Amino acid sequence: MFRAVRLSTSGIRSLTQTRPCYSAPLASRCYSHAKVETDEEFDARWVTYFSKPDIDAWELKKGMNTLIGYDLVPEPKILDSALRACRRLNDLASAIRILEAVKDKSGPHKDIYPYLIQELQPTLIELGISTPEDLGMDIL
Amino acid sequence: MSLAKPAMRGLLGKRLRFHLPIAFALPLVAAAAFKYGVTEPRKQAYANFYKQYDTTAEFNNIREAGVFESVRPTGK
Repeated sequence: MFRAVRLSTSGIRSLTQTRPCYSAPLASRCYSHAKVETDEEFDARWVTYFSKPDIDAWELKKGMNTLIGYDLVPEPKILDSALRACRRLNDLASAIRILEAVKDKSGPHKDIYPYLIQELQPTLIELGISTPEDLGMDIL
Repeated sequence: MSLAKPAMRGLLGKRLRFHLPIAFALPLVAAAAFKYGVTEPRKQAYANFYKQYDTTAEFNNIREAGVFESVRPTGK
């Protein structure tokens, strides 16, 4: 099941006063017996999700919305898988929207988006996806 | 020149871990500063004033000023 991060103030307090033992963005209280998913497992799970050959539009949207809800910017390989899913669904609009979403997700960290575009460049060229900047859609 | 991979996970968590303790500590400090910088001196000032206050003398002063209705000034 998807578990979004929940950082309550008391949670943070207890986490800062004990030793911080989380690295994943998923909920991992120090006193839980649940196995913590590694970053690689998380990424692999999401790449698989978007790689489903007969993924439908709803699943694409749901997947992206859930992914954006996490405290992380998705890895290039997850985005690559999502963009290819958009290609299978003939959904260019969602492909460009995904790029806008990850740029927004980076927040004040301006170095993330250029890195992602650099990593995704082969995919963008192969699938013929324009970036929001190419289309002049990045100016408000 | 290709870009290095930046940190992409846990960015909000990192920000909150830094800012939330400050967000709780600063108002507490501000409240303490206001309490001991403003309200306690004010309370002390009132306490000091009334420690030296002679109610009878003040009553007579106001009486002579003729503003009471219950007692007239000591007519002279």
